[in-house]
Parts: sequence; structure tokens; C-alpha cells
Amino acid sequence: MKIRDKVLIVEDEQNIKNFMSTILAANGFDTLMAGGAKEALSMISSHCPDLIILDLGLPDMDGMEVLKQVRAWSSVPVIVVSARTHEGDKVAALDLGADDYIEKPFGTSELLARIRTAIRHTRTGLDNDSIAQSGKYTVRDLTIDYDKHHVLMRGEDVHLTLNEFKIVALLGKYAGKVLTYDFLIREIWGPKAKADNQILRVNMANIRRKIEKNPAAPEYIFTEIGVGYRMLENE
Amino acid sequence: MKDLLSRIGQWTEKMWRSIPIHLRDAIFTALLLGIAAAICFVLRSIDENGSFTLLIFVLAVVIISRFTEGYFWGVFSSLFGVICVNFVFTYPFWAFNFRLTGYPLTFLTMLAVSLIISAMNTKIKKQERLRTEAERETMRANLLRAMSHDIRTPLTSIVGNTSAILENGDTLSTEQQRELLRDVNEDAQWLIRMVENLLSITRISGEQTAISKEYEAAEEILAASVHKFEKRFKSNIRIAVEVPQEVVLVPMDATLIQQVLLNLMENAVLHGESTTELRLSVEHIGDEACFTVSDNGLGIPRERLATLFDGSLSGEKGGGFDMKKNMGIGLSVCQTIVKAHGGRITAENRPEGGAQFRFYLPLKEEKEDEDQG
Repeated sequence: MKIRDKVLIVEDEQNIKNFMSTILAANGFDTLMAGGAKEALSMISSHCPDLIILDLGLPDMDGMEVLKQVRAWSSVPVIVVSARTHEGDKVAALDLGADDYIEKPFGTSELLARIRTAIRHTRTGLDNDSIAQSGKYTVRDLTIDYDKHHVLMRGEDVHLTLNEFKIVALLGKYAGKVLTYDFLIREIWGPKAKADNQILRVNMANIRRKIEKNPAAPEYIFTEIGVGYRMLENE
Repeated sequence: MKDLLSRIGQWTEKMWRSIPIHLRDAIFTALLLGIAAAICFVLRSIDENGSFTLLIFVLAVVIISRFTEGYFWGVFSSLFGVICVNFVFTYPFWAFNFRLTGYPLTFLTMLAVSLIISAMNTKIKKQERLRTEAERETMRANLLRAMSHDIRTPLTSIVGNTSAILENGDTLSTEQQRELLRDVNEDAQWLIRMVENLLSITRISGEQTAISKEYEAAEEILAASVHKFEKRFKSNIRIAVEVPQEVVLVPMDATLIQQVLLNLMENAVLHGESTTELRLSVEHIGDEACFTVSDNGLGIPRERLATLFDGSLSGEKGGGFDMKKNMGIGLSVCQTIVKAHGGRITAENRPEGGAQFRFYLPLKEEKEDEDQG
């Protein structure tokens, strides 16, 4: 018998909880439900779910606080659900260690896709699996060679600058995950660098001109407006 | 030649605007007083009688008071005018003569003129500001009214369809039920989009247009908007996106500009009816970024072009209210957002067919706007 993944849904709205649980059950997941933060925390430690869907607006405690407490002892994948009225929250949640976010209102296919990706990521470990084995990450025509420090498009070196390579390498390492602007800036330019989105934007534009056919219709690196960048994942 | 002239015109205007406002007023004042003095010199060489000098200086004071900020330059120029008239243009020339008859009167006249005009000027500006505030308020009120009106239609249909299924589920075929549910889904999606528009409007809060702008790469915003649009409308419309080789960084609130692009694309599909192709581009023109969304659909009816952006309610006058036809809300949201960025939006029909919307966003954040805002 196939072992079903256990998903904990932390959400205070009964209707949304029902709809998510129905969809997940129909797609081969076991579901647990918690209506508040305290209930959620106790369920996480007793049931050890494979994934947590966490609504940030909970009645008894800030969802962010739940995330912090969980991250203190567990690396279970967490997908936060954010409403558009609190746009900054999703970025803060990602920086606090959430694996992904989904915006209300979301469709079922989107929800399922995010859940599968997040679970796959933990199965293979956070570091991209193929990189550990071959020192390379390949998706479609793009290959990032971590040993030789270059990026190939259809086998040809695209000549990235050092910082451009660092950005691509980092996105490749976490392919499929959105990396926030702040995270990228910290990793590339160091923690003391004054967060300057413009430099990052320009670097990204240059990268796209080297690896994408049309920089305005990217196939490899996608922008999540107001959040960060995400690299195409090898399915 | 014409091109060159317009370019010089643009350049000078740009230079002029780049000077801080106080310095600009100083230069303007100096220039006008200089011209007045020059005219007096010329006229004096023709006519020795200096009676006109006073009038010319009064005129200069009037103009200066009208076109500069506050009272300072008006008062300054009236003082300067009095001294100048006394010193240079009345007998004895190039010497002060305070015993001239009517001298205090001249001075008082000039001063009064400048004060009155400056006061009027300030008052006009204040009234203008009040009027724009009132206009904005009316626009917001109109929008809200239209929206709550529009929201009722899909809600009625949702309640109707779902209760039909709940109450008569056993007499309806599966196909019929699916049909009803599909309508519910469509209506709900429409409501979601409407609420997103509402949220965008509330972000541009009150009289303070303090939207948080950050420099964003225009191509990223286009790409992300197209991506979102394609996810939302799984249609077989081809979308072409063009960006220049140069990276165009535009100060904007990215979420709001994405809303504008989404609304324009959605309109092109829903109202262009026969639209099969969408074209999005961004260009760097002068000190603005120009975003274009064009389609190959039916275009905009001529009679609607004039009132396209100013509101929502114009669409329903012709009776038979149809929610799908009401593109007013989306467009007035677009206009509100673009205006809040200090930009402008235009609509036209392309000669080869289809509609074309453009909006322009300034590439530099205007300091002046911030001072006044």
C-alpha cells in the first residue's frame, strides 16, 4: 500500500478548511485540520505531518509566530497562505523559513502543485539533488556547472560575470523555490550591503539577456512581483 | 527641422523643470525685470518723457506676482521697480530723488498691486487643490457605487445557481448541474477580480498619494503580468511581449502597475471580442517609460472613446445593463493608478484595427509633487 502524505491545514475559516481538505483527500493526501495556532502547534508535535499549510491570519496567535516556533525544532515544509491585504507578510514568512507561499484566492491546481513541489524538495533534501551528484544543474537547455563556475546554454558558455553567476547558481540550487530579494542581496553582496534592489534588478536583466530568448517572456527565471525570483524546476 | 525645434523645446523644458522652484522663481523675476528695464531704455531713447516707465513696471510686477510662488517675489519686484523708476528713469537720471511728488503713492500702488495679485494667486491655487481633491473624492465615490452595483449581479447568479442545485439537485441532470456550477465559478472569478481592483484603489489612500514606489525593471513587470494573465485565462490568445535592449527601471508600485496591465489585457480579450493576438511593449521615450497594450479585436466604439476613463456609470445609460460590457471600472482603476504615479493613460483605435492603450510613467520621481503632496 502506498504511504499517503499527511498534510496539516491550519486555517480558521471553516469553509476554506473544508474545501482544501476535500481537494487534498481526493488527490491522495491524508489531512489533519487545526483551527488555531495553539491547536496547530500541539498537532504538529504529536502527528508529525509531512507538510503544513499555514494561514497567516489566525485568531489566537500570529501565524508568523507559529512558523517561528516550528522552525525552532523542525524543518517540515510549510506553505503559508497570505491574503493580499497583508502583502509584506509573505516575504517576511519566506525569510523566516517558510518553503513557499500561496495567495488567497487560489485555485485547486495551484494548491496541489505547490504542495507536491514542497514535498519533493524535502524528499531530496533542500539542496538540489543532481547538484550533489554531478556538480551540475540542468533544466531544458540550461546547465549550471558548479565545479567550473560557468553557465551553459545549449552547451555554450554564456559568459556571466561573477555576481551574475552567483545569482544563477543560487537560484539553481533552490530551483522551484522562490528566493526573496533580500535573501539574494544578502547572499551575493554580503549582510552589510545596504539592500539595493536596483543592482539586483539590473543584474537579473543582464542575466536574462544572456540566457533567455526574450527577456520579457522568460523560460528559466521567473519574477514573483514584490517577492523575489524563482528558477524553473526540473520535473 | 520641426523635429529639432520640438527636441530643443523639450530639452529646455526639462532643464527648466530640473531647476528647484525657488531658483526658478528668482530667474523668472530677474528676467522679467530685466525685460521691463530694457523696454524702458529703448522707449526713453524715443521719448524723453518718462511717464510710461511706471506703467511698464506695474505690468512686470503683475506678471511676476501671478506666476511665482507666494508673496516674496511680487513684493521684491515692486520694491525694485520703485527704486529703478526713481533711480534710472525719472529726473534726475542715475540719482535718487525722494522729493518727487507722488513718490510714496507710486510705491504704495506697486506694493498694493503685487500684494493683491499674490493673494489672488494663492487663493486660486488653494481652490484648485480643493477642486482636485473633490474630483478625486467624486471619482472614488462613483467607483464604489458602480462596483457595489456590479457586485450584486454575479452574487445573485451565484445564489440562484447554487440554490437550484441544492434544492432541485435530484431533478437536474449531471450536465445541467455542471453547467450551473461553471457559471457560479465564472461569476466568482469575476468577483475576485473586482475585489482586487477595489483593493488597488484603497491602496491609493485618501488625499495623500503616498504609494510606495520602488525602481522596478519594466520587463519583469510585463512578464509577470502576462504570466498571471495566462494562468487566469486559459485562452488560446497569442501574447507577444517586446522590450528594448536597454533595461528600463521605472519607479512604481509593482502590484498596482500589474493591476493596470491585467485590466488592460482583460479588457482587450473581453471587449475586443474577436481578439486573437495581444501585444505588450515598453519603450523609453524622453524621461518617461511608455507601456503599450494593443490587440487586434473590434476596437473601441467611437462614441465611448471620449468618456472611456471617467467612470463607470456611463456604460449603463443605454439601458440593458450587462456586466461583461462594463469596462468602465477596470479602466478608471487604471487611470487612478497611473495618475497616482504621476503618469497619464491614453486610448485609441489602431488604423489596422483593434484597440491600443498606452500609459506613461515618469522615470524620475518628481520632487515637487512630493513637496505639495
